[in-house]
Amino acid sequence: MDVRAQMSMVFHLDKCIGCHTCSIACKNIWTDRKGTEYMWWNNVETKPGTGYPTAWEDQEKYHGGWVVEDGNLHLRSTSKTQTVFNIFHNPHQPSMDDYYEPWTYDYQHLFNAPEGPDQPTAVPISMVTGDLIQIKAGPNWDDDMGGSPVYAENDPNLAQLNPEQRAQMFAVQRLMFFYLPRICNHCLNPACVASCPSGALHKRGEDGIVLVDQKRCRGWRACIAACPYKKMYYNWQTGKSEKCILCYPRLETGQAPACFHSCVGRIRYLGVVLYDADRIREVAGLPQDELIEAQRSLILNPNDPAVIAAARQNGVHDSVVESAQKSPTYRFVKDWKIALPLHAEYRTLPMLFYVPPMAPVMAQKTGTTVDNISEDLFHDIDDARAPIEYMASMFGAGNAGKVRYALRKQKAVRWYRRAVTVGDVDMATAERMLREADCSPAEAEAIYKLTSLCTFDDRFVIPPMHREQAVEMLEDPLAHKQGVGFGFMESPRRGL
Amino acid sequence: MTLKLLLHRIGPAFYIPLIFIAGPVAAHAQEAVDFFRGNCTSCHTIGGGRLTGPDLKDVTQRKDRAWLVQFLQSPQAMIDKGDPYALKLKDEARDVVMPNINGMSPALAELLLTMIEAESKLPKSQFAGLQISDRPFTQQDIELGKAIFMGDKRLANGGPPCVTCHTFNGAGGFGGGRLGPDLSRAFERLQGRKAMGAWLYAPATPTMSLTFSKKALKAEEILPLLALFENTARSGAEDDRTGLAGFFATGFVVAVLCLTLFAFIWKARFRAVRDPLVELSARKVLGGRS
Ligand code: SF4
Ligand code: SF4
Repeated sequence: MDVRAQMSMVFHLDKCIGCHTCSIACKNIWTDRKGTEYMWWNNVETKPGTGYPTAWEDQEKYHGGWVVEDGNLHLRSTSKTQTVFNIFHNPHQPSMDDYYEPWTYDYQHLFNAPEGPDQPTAVPISMVTGDLIQIKAGPNWDDDMGGSPVYAENDPNLAQLNPEQRAQMFAVQRLMFFYLPRICNHCLNPACVASCPSGALHKRGEDGIVLVDQKRCRGWRACIAACPYKKMYYNWQTGKSEKCILCYPRLETGQAPACFHSCVGRIRYLGVVLYDADRIREVAGLPQDELIEAQRSLILNPNDPAVIAAARQNGVHDSVVESAQKSPTYRFVKDWKIALPLHAEYRTLPMLFYVPPMAPVMAQKTGTTVDNISEDLFHDIDDARAPIEYMASMFGAGNAGKVRYALRKQKAVRWYRRAVTVGDVDMATAERMLREADCSPAEAEAIYKLTSLCTFDDRFVIPPMHREQAVEMLEDPLAHKQGVGFGFMESPRRGL
Repeated sequence: MTLKLLLHRIGPAFYIPLIFIAGPVAAHAQEAVDFFRGNCTSCHTIGGGRLTGPDLKDVTQRKDRAWLVQFLQSPQAMIDKGDPYALKLKDEARDVVMPNINGMSPALAELLLTMIEAESKLPKSQFAGLQISDRPFTQQDIELGKAIFMGDKRLANGGPPCVTCHTFNGAGGFGGGRLGPDLSRAFERLQGRKAMGAWLYAPATPTMSLTFSKKALKAEEILPLLALFENTARSGAEDDRTGLAGFFATGFVVAVLCLTLFAFIWKARFRAVRDPLVELSARKVLGGRS
């Protein structure tokens, strides 16, 4: 057992209101520089939809993630040999059009325009070329199913549905959508790290955050093709790749990452989990329908004395183990099993988990009126507007059972809470539903609390990062002890 | 006392200085011979008849030395001055003017004239020219000449085959190399069998002389080559352009074929995602309307 710590996240999709506050918070801090205008380390997509970059889930096109071939894990995009041949030309890169051409507006014109018969306008200007552009797309172009004949209908997850289900999904009376905020998953088996010919990508030992070493990156762009979530971005100004850093400077000072901190719907949870690094290779190579369960089993119980001992032996600080014991992620993923990884079939073992959203009630058109099919507000899961197969394509690696379990438990909690607070539901029914959903009243209370009444400190359990220890691995902390002041990062060019 | 005895008696003290006196003279004579071979034989013989330039046998009797030395310094200058004899020479050479020779000094000119004088007295000078038979060229000669030109038949002294640098009309395929001039009409340019034969034996241009000074062509190789060049010149062939055009045309076609092949092999390559989606749905909408 090789116990390590990992910052792990849960996004509760039932709570996301699609406000993009998270994206803006991130953009303002990290990607407001030249060359990064088009990057959205955090982006929010409407589902069904093709997302950003367009149809990123279509690995037939983008060749991201891992595949198992004769019992071995292979990157879909490249291999050691292929890296040599493709070193100057990495195929399968999204084009600027697949992201979008970033633009601003010529606001000055509003002030400087000569007097004329009509009001002046601010024309769109490309942030790449500085020229006037015709805006063709944006990072959330298909928000709320805008342009759905182009985007929503080409959602790669619809491949799981039969033509009838597909048609129904876009029938007006059944129309539904939800939001899918995405950041880098800080995967346990990151394809980006594996693909880098320069060894510039690494996973931080102490917290598992995946980072690009800007000094080492040579801009080969192998990572951009390899990451199946398209969360690696190429900075055309510096010629190097960049990615979400999980706001590690904020984490190191005890603050939640900017997108977590600013989240209006309070959908985001963050905590450390302990996992067994010895089993990563084995788990990532399992058959697709075992992936979800196996990935869950990688995460270890932080209260288990054997795990604690192994963690200690591996240099994981006791305070980190304590933090793991309070981790909201652990509760969602392991205790309650209602948070699932997005597209586990890419085999990168993503460490961002999603609580799948409850879809609205099914409706039926009789004559000129549209009625709900079910009398129950909390209708049956399999009659939801979004076919369970669609959800399973995203959150179950094709395994509908896992998604159904998560949705049923959520539904049971709602019934139970309704019985408690409103009382128009029979408590016996509610308790039966809880039993059927593999949930106790105490667990239902806990889920309810962490979902609805969560405070900052409930959502973000940030362990002390112990940078002082991590730094010792790289530098001697006493090296500057007899120096003057705080020393210099780069030595000064003058003086003696 | 004989000289021999004296030498023996007095020993080296005497004859070492003698060597020093005789040595340079011998060296000078050799220098003139080498120079003549390297620079003059392509146009002149000594007792072998005229090539491009006149036969130099007894030249020192035809004109005085001072004039000759002056002429050798700069033939063109003499002609420009309107010297009648120089003009006559030019006439005889069908307006080919002897070039200024690199490294020609009055001293060297003297040395050369002395050497020519000495050679003229011999019954057969070493510079009587290459004796190439006068027999009429046969079809076989032409065939053999082509084989030698194209390198199908190796040159006996190991020189590179003509085709590496030259082409001629009828070389076939893409023609030969383009470093040297096209030889289709060289037979006329170099004034026929004898002159061209001499030229081939001791080519005078820097590139050719560098390549062939140590690997000279043999008489039995020169004859077929002459037959070949005579034949092409006689058939009135212009310089070979088809080879060049063919080369470019073929290059173009091969490039297009390669690109087409690449496009085919990698036809599933990643191009764009969003644009095709938009196009597809636009087509659907328009198709539905019409
Ligand atoms: S989501 Fe992509 S960029 Fe992030 S760790 Fe995984 S493979 Fe790497
Ligand atoms: S800030 Fe929160 S609620 Fe708003 S879009 Fe982002 S994740 Fe959703």
